Amino acid sequence: MSAVIQLEGLTKHYGSARGIVDLDLEVSEGEVFGFLGPNGAGKTTTIRLIMDLIRPSEGTARVFSLDARRDATLIQARTGYMPGELALYGGLTGIEMLKYAANLRGGVDWAFVEGLAERLDCDLSRPIGTLSTGNKHKVGLIHALMHRPELLILDEPTSGLDPIVQRELHRLLEEVRAEGRTVFLSSHILPEVESLCDRVGIIREGRLVTIQQVEALKESALSHLEFHFAAEVSADEFSSLPGVREVTAEGTVVRCTVSGSVDAVVKAAALHEVLDLVSHEPSLEQVFLAYYTGESGDAG
Amino acid sequence: MLANVFLKTLRDQRRSLMWWGIGLVALTSLTMAFYPAFSDAPDFDEIFEQMPEALTKMFAGEFTDLTSPEGFLNSQLFFFVVPLMFVIFAVLAGSAAIAGEEGAGTLSLLLTSTTPRWRVVVEKFGAVAVATLALALFLWLGLAAGAVAVDMDISLLGLAAASLSTALLAVAFGAFALALGCITGARGLSAGAASAVAIAAYFLNALAPLSDALTPLQKLSPFYYFIGADPLTNGLNALHAGVLLALTAAALGVAVLAFERRDLHG
Repeated sequence: MSAVIQLEGLTKHYGSARGIVDLDLEVSEGEVFGFLGPNGAGKTTTIRLIMDLIRPSEGTARVFSLDARRDATLIQARTGYMPGELALYGGLTGIEMLKYAANLRGGVDWAFVEGLAERLDCDLSRPIGTLSTGNKHKVGLIHALMHRPELLILDEPTSGLDPIVQRELHRLLEEVRAEGRTVFLSSHILPEVESLCDRVGIIREGRLVTIQQVEALKESALSHLEFHFAAEVSADEFSSLPGVREVTAEGTVVRCTVSGSVDAVVKAAALHEVLDLVSHEPSLEQVFLAYYTGESGDAG
Repeated sequence: MLANVFLKTLRDQRRSLMWWGIGLVALTSLTMAFYPAFSDAPDFDEIFEQMPEALTKMFAGEFTDLTSPEGFLNSQLFFFVVPLMFVIFAVLAGSAAIAGEEGAGTLSLLLTSTTPRWRVVVEKFGAVAVATLALALFLWLGLAAGAVAVDMDISLLGLAAASLSTALLAVAFGAFALALGCITGARGLSAGAASAVAIAAYFLNALAPLSDALTPLQKLSPFYYFIGADPLTNGLNALHAGVLLALTAAALGVAVLAFERRDLHG
């Protein structure tokens, strides 16, 4: 498979600490790539470099084997982009805004646009300035998808969307993937990336920490289980099980931090009467922690 | 009106253009309503001549012949009020063109929609220029109607030349504001700095003749090339108009080069 996005030593200095440092990254054709990191890590900077909105201090970005700077308009013709800080023309209606964008691109299949609006339940007849954040977001998504681009670059695409629309977006992205098109999306939410992406790059403080298959990421992720037993249970019963990183017992409540599969812990707990089981999604910081403490196996 | 960046920018200006046009027509008709009073009273010229020279120069330049149609229009409209309005209009439009959209955040999508940056700048400049010329048309129509109403003996061609000269001056400052916006990305800064330069240029042109040492500096002011050759009386001076066009082209060139190079804000 050929590389759709190629970043080599991509570096952007801003005055102080922000920016990105020496980023190497390849996204293959047909891949859904997740770019994961906390706010301010450099996700948006990277995307704006790829879209030629800002220029690198060092290194290069290539898209479709074209130079991101020199061939920007050629790349844009084949790319759909949704910025993280979405700003649309508030005085235009959704239809006017999208017609304008379509005209700039030399025309699009308008029936397809209407189909997208229907699927996302988006009223295009109202002035954009009167829409809620979620509805503005939908217009932004349609704008990115309307010319059926080979590459979709979405900066935090689901923030502000209600769960129903999020699901519809996931379905749309599935279709994009099924058609062999490429998606590069950024997020600070681990489960979102896990459910959408094939491969994930984790960025922190401007540096790429690791690139992994989503499956591997899940395996190395920490989960927190909290068992409420009918009677007191000793922490010792869990502490030596595979994957267990930490156990505390307080009366009838046992809390475990487990890396990878929780199978052994759940089976051990099942020997007792379990009144309740609470499981927490690992936060992004905990995923990072798993890397920095180096106990998560094959990091990198 | 949404076919391209040029038309979209004109569309954005349509309301503002309408109000400025109404204001301009109101100003010119109100001013011209006073013309019969002036022309019937030659004493006005004497009163005017007795005023301190610095004061008359400041707001009327060399145009102290209030009772002739040309002198009246030049001193009461073309020297100060009309160019002031035009320059403000063009500076606001020029600073809004790139820096305004950048501040609003919509430039991110516009610049990733396959239109190259240089073309976005050129089309937006085109819209500012056309809007300013449209304003000049309003001005000319207002003056022509006024001249007929108060039975003023003035050449319609002269009025057209003076209106066009005003537009050329304003477009030059509009292009300057556009260039500042392209360099800095800051709308308020661009509008403010361009206005400050325009005010300084105005006073340089108006007051430099008061001092022998400063007189040569008058030719550094774009206002000199707008009114110095009295287009109302003599028609458009090709050389002076050429200087204003050259200034505009230079500012547009700087705007494009600066904008091609820099990082977008936001």
